[in-house]
Amino acid sequence: MTDINAFRQDVREWLEAHCPISQRQPIVREEQIWAGSQSRFPSDDARQWFEAMRDKGWTAPTWPIEYGGGGLTADEARVLEQEMGRLKCRPALYDMGLWMLGPALLTYGSPEQKSLHIPRIVRGEVRWAQGYSEPGAGSDLASLSTRAQDKGDHFVVSGTKIWTTRADVADWIFCLVRTDPDAAKRDGISFLLIDMASEGVSTRPIPLISGESEFCQTFFDEVRVPRENLVGDLHGGWQVAKELLKHERKLMATMESITEKVDVGLIELAKSRLALSEEGRIMDGDLRSRITNHLMHADALDHLNDTLFRGMKAQQLDPALPLTLKYIGTTEQQRKDELMLEILGADGLTMAESDSPELERMVRNWAYNKAHTIAGGTSEIQLNIIARRGLGLPE
Amino acid sequence: MILNDEQRMLRDTIADFLSREAPVEALRALRDADINLAWQPSLWSGLCELGAPAAAHAEDDGGLGFGWLGMGALMQETGRTLSASPMLSSAIHAQAVIRYCGSPEQIERRVPALMSGESVATVAMQEGNHFHTLPHQTRWVGNTISGDKTLVMDASATDYLIVSALDAADQLCLALVPKDADGVTLHPKKLMDGRQYASLTLRDVEAEEWLTGETLASGFTRACDEATIMLSCEMLGGSRELLERTVAYLQEREQFDVKIGTFQALQHRLAKAYCELELAAASAFHALLAMDSGEPVLSEQASKAKALVGDIFQHLSNEAVQMHGGMGVTDEMDIGLFLKRSRVCNQLYGNSAFHRDRFARLHGY
Repeated sequence: MTDINAFRQDVREWLEAHCPISQRQPIVREEQIWAGSQSRFPSDDARQWFEAMRDKGWTAPTWPIEYGGGGLTADEARVLEQEMGRLKCRPALYDMGLWMLGPALLTYGSPEQKSLHIPRIVRGEVRWAQGYSEPGAGSDLASLSTRAQDKGDHFVVSGTKIWTTRADVADWIFCLVRTDPDAAKRDGISFLLIDMASEGVSTRPIPLISGESEFCQTFFDEVRVPRENLVGDLHGGWQVAKELLKHERKLMATMESITEKVDVGLIELAKSRLALSEEGRIMDGDLRSRITNHLMHADALDHLNDTLFRGMKAQQLDPALPLTLKYIGTTEQQRKDELMLEILGADGLTMAESDSPELERMVRNWAYNKAHTIAGGTSEIQLNIIARRGLGLPE
Repeated sequence: MILNDEQRMLRDTIADFLSREAPVEALRALRDADINLAWQPSLWSGLCELGAPAAAHAEDDGGLGFGWLGMGALMQETGRTLSASPMLSSAIHAQAVIRYCGSPEQIERRVPALMSGESVATVAMQEGNHFHTLPHQTRWVGNTISGDKTLVMDASATDYLIVSALDAADQLCLALVPKDADGVTLHPKKLMDGRQYASLTLRDVEAEEWLTGETLASGFTRACDEATIMLSCEMLGGSRELLERTVAYLQEREQFDVKIGTFQALQHRLAKAYCELELAAASAFHALLAMDSGEPVLSEQASKAKALVGDIFQHLSNEAVQMHGGMGVTDEMDIGLFLKRSRVCNQLYGNSAFHRDRFARLHGY
């Protein structure tokens, strides 16, 4: 206990000394620091903050020191997270490699793969994209058909991946590919790392309802991939994919905290935009009640995350509990977005010709976040999993 | 709820005791009994022997030292078996009112007996059909108290009543009144949950004594918040029992030649209910942690827990009836008993709407 308190004190001092004031503002999408060769810093402060965190290994706090990570225990990492939250420090680095590939690679990667890729992820040198879904394989991911032919020292990959986030600026992509078309669906899949600069790789951005085009379709036309880029066993990719999906779902449950904090809280927004009584109460009782219901749920979600953490430590974790987080987190986020839109009224009806960038962001997020209950396993798939694996209802 | 080893032991001991001495059939028997009993004396004396009324408090305070987390776990178990006892009305609420609103002398004289279960008291606070924390028409005038109270738990079986009233300056005051005092008329009523409640008419009643603690108003709020959180724990237990019984039924009942639990329409409804239940449970768990860490004000925690648990308890009771099909509406199944208990619990200490509104007020909107 004393040790962790001393650690907290150290973290607090270090953050005070190294996190510039400008990096303690809520993050906006344009100022996120994404990894990779195309990455650029919006300001010197942002660069300084990123480099300080990188050198400390705190871009990946719990990863082993030998790969450039922070080597922190779960307790220490939580303290770091809490202290960063307290000072409102921005996340130092954004990358799919950091959130998803890295943890899976630490479990399933070969020693060579770990020493090559993990340090580059920690240092933000490579931006990773995810190649899972295909036009014909969404919720039924295991029916994917991108083909990788085994040619001994290399594979030849042909097919297409969809919803590959910012594949147009990514350096590498991790992909699920079919290596055995004759095996049962899940048994013929392998996990490959592909350099986006390889010959035969091309991308096309997909315009979304939010007006953005974060997602791409990525095409592979007889792309040659060295055999050392196979992660896990040949035809054993589904195992790796499941491990990785766990991290993706955990991430999506807390999406708001890493992507974009809306500057204004719901209560402040409501009080500044809705009719109030003399005592300063929101007159619209229906909206007031729904705002309250959301705030109670949002608090409860924080408590649920905390319960999970405590349960894990005390080894008393209900195994069904983590299955609920993605569904709950993304659903609640959308409830908040809908409330914001209602509170904004007519001001909430434009994404392009808004009076303020902040307003525009809120409205874009409302549309953008519709993807959260779809990506990483739809809510319906989550409910299937909760019902069958969590509650034990029959298949 | 994450418990330590001692708290788990307490929970298991209580669960074991209740499954033997007070399973759901015991509540059914109590409901159907010809004489109006608020609880089975053997159940209450058994709970007292186990130290249940004193479970939360520190050992140097005459308690068993399991903390509020331990007490919350205990209340969950009583919710699973629908056990009728004065745990909530007396051991938790009345005791807290005296503890927080009494003078040191009053505390010393009254609390130990409530903690051992030797003496039983109840708090008469609600007026009319809807809950408010403070009284609005019961008055203390010329040293006597007059007014009408409703939904007083276990009133007919208690030794004395704690009655809330307003004085001439509209300040809260709390009177201790024997239930057979002159001017007190008790109208006992068995509600749909099979338990005993009473309406109370007070006409020029001379109080035995008044609670004279220094922080009466804030103390009373705290006592009510503690009771609200404990009731939420009981309701959580009832909700979990409903979910488990319904899952078990869906695993076993067959229609169209398959288990009905294979139907996605039912799976998704229960999966959603489970998510809501875990959110509500996390909220109650944190309210208990706040109690154990001695947070001075519990109102927000209590309102969050009661609103969320209240909503899911009612929702799950409806879903349980529906998913049990025709059996769900028979009195033979226990599901109906949980359904009715959920509706009574919803009204006690304020329904979900009351607590959402209170939460909004606490946040100034």
